[in-house]
Amino acid sequence: MLYPEIVIAGCGNPLFADDGYGPAVIEELQKLTLPDNVKVVDAGLGGPHFIFTMLDPEVTKKLVIVDIADYGAEPGSITKLRVEDLPPGSYRDAHSWDLAEPLQRIKDKIDVTIIGCQPARVTDPEMEIGLSDEVSKAIPKTVRIVLETIGVDYGTAI
Amino acid sequence: MSKVVEISPTTRHEGHSKLVLKVNDAGIIETGNWCSITPVRGVEKLAVGKTPEQVPKIASRVCGICPIAHCLAATEAMEASIKVEIPKDAKLLRHILQLANRLHSHALHNILTLPDMYLPGTDVKINPFSPEEPVRSVAKRIQRLREIGQTIGQIAGGEAIHPSNPKVGGMYENCSEQARTKMYDLAKEGLVLAHQQAEFMIAVLRNYQKRDWVDVGGMKVALPKDLGYHDQGYLATHPFYGSSSMDENPTWDIRRFKEVRPWDWYMGEMEVTLEEPKYPVGGTTKLGTKVNPQMEACTGIPMYDGQPVEVGPRARLVTYRNFDEKGTIGQQIARQMEFQDCLYEMIDCIDELNPKGKVCADYIPNGDGTLGWASNEAPRGTDVHLAKVKDWKVQYFSMLVPTTWNFATCSAALKGAPWQLAEVIMRGYDPCVSCATHMIVVDEDHKIVAQKLIQQ
Repeated sequence: MLYPEIVIAGCGNPLFADDGYGPAVIEELQKLTLPDNVKVVDAGLGGPHFIFTMLDPEVTKKLVIVDIADYGAEPGSITKLRVEDLPPGSYRDAHSWDLAEPLQRIKDKIDVTIIGCQPARVTDPEMEIGLSDEVSKAIPKTVRIVLETIGVDYGTAI
Repeated sequence: MSKVVEISPTTRHEGHSKLVLKVNDAGIIETGNWCSITPVRGVEKLAVGKTPEQVPKIASRVCGICPIAHCLAATEAMEASIKVEIPKDAKLLRHILQLANRLHSHALHNILTLPDMYLPGTDVKINPFSPEEPVRSVAKRIQRLREIGQTIGQIAGGEAIHPSNPKVGGMYENCSEQARTKMYDLAKEGLVLAHQQAEFMIAVLRNYQKRDWVDVGGMKVALPKDLGYHDQGYLATHPFYGSSSMDENPTWDIRRFKEVRPWDWYMGEMEVTLEEPKYPVGGTTKLGTKVNPQMEACTGIPMYDGQPVEVGPRARLVTYRNFDEKGTIGQQIARQMEFQDCLYEMIDCIDELNPKGKVCADYIPNGDGTLGWASNEAPRGTDVHLAKVKDWKVQYFSMLVPTTWNFATCSAALKGAPWQLAEVIMRGYDPCVSCATHMIVVDEDHKIVAQKLIQQ
């Protein structure tokens, strides 16, 4: 099976400064030894095609998405959102499934949590590599929140 | 008198693009411009000064649907510049990864194509999400094919989305004997499904081709027999993988390539004079809107032998398999024919792969600044990357991505078709119009809710 019971997907593009937050969190999570039923994926920009539309609700019970979110907070602040809190079109795939949102379709069968971080700087369309200090500093806390969300107690080190 | 209609944004493909069409009184396209409106700037600049290991990672982030093609083309452009030959087993793993990606991509494109098509023998368009048969089992088969592609890709490439295994000089790791057997089993299962899927799709496409009319948002549109025909040439560099400047007989020639600016090729400023609110989804652009494809197009126009050319499945089949069917349906059929080819080839590669073989070159030179290029036959066409590496630093890097080749060719193919079918022609190219950022923008009302949820 491609995806196990718990999937953690980091979304975003490291070529646009703070948009690389999702993949950066994944890089940290990949350093940890997590239970076999957890899969940590750097989704990049491919979340809708490669993950959200390919989960089998018989197997996957929990999806945690890590992404940047502009919700008017201080840069580096983290929020937990549900699919219901997302404005329409957030994850609308241009390669679209009937122009509907894949997350809307799976949310009743799979428990979806979105962990969003307020970015300081997104440089689109100009490319720039590197997270702002505020967002970099949010990474350890995000890792903690992800682990808490999936019910993994990693002890005192993190 | 000619009228101007604009479809923006176009749907059911990757990225953002639009169609600006000058049509006659009967609604037939006189001049069609298909242009990218996704600005992506600076990959070339960003790459300079980075190491040859970093640049393929950067290249793979340019697009959310073909990271594998970009990762492989960029890695091999670096290898071509520093002139390193990679071991045979590394090559085989790359071929398997490439084919796995193609399998997934073609299956996904089926879902994007089906809503334009009819259930044979009826006037009902296909909804791939319908819970009813026969569509349901087709959808399940498509999903399984995608899953097989992604799983094999993950084994050969390390990760299924952004492959972690390829490196300059080969691959980081070979796979285990057990993993090889798993890939083999999956490929054999996939082959049976691919045959069934290709047969189904070809039947559906032929049925569409035989129709006299099709429905577009309640409008009955006559279907021309030469839908999507063009007289541009084709470009393909390999039946399934690619070529590079290191090959004994390279199949791409930089001297035959040149790029012109969109304003030499696209229409200038015009005003929208035809609006159709019934056109799905949400109608065409409002009357009186100013459009200017010359200025709005975000890509250059690449030419081969002085002309825009078509790249993709049909170009590969025309070049290597004597395929000769023109038009949108011919192009779609070529794509379905690649399904089986893809799995036969994959099985051959898995057969040949020695899991104990070496996968990285012993000596990796630092490069002397020679220009190297590598092409990769991505699902939607030839992806060429060019690089100069000196002293283990990238001095120059450039990407010629598949859909950029196809923009001007598809624009030529629009001529003579009813404007309502322009998107059907465009979708035949399986466009991938590059990607931008992803950010959730929570609206004002939700901001308050979100604020409450901030964790300390």
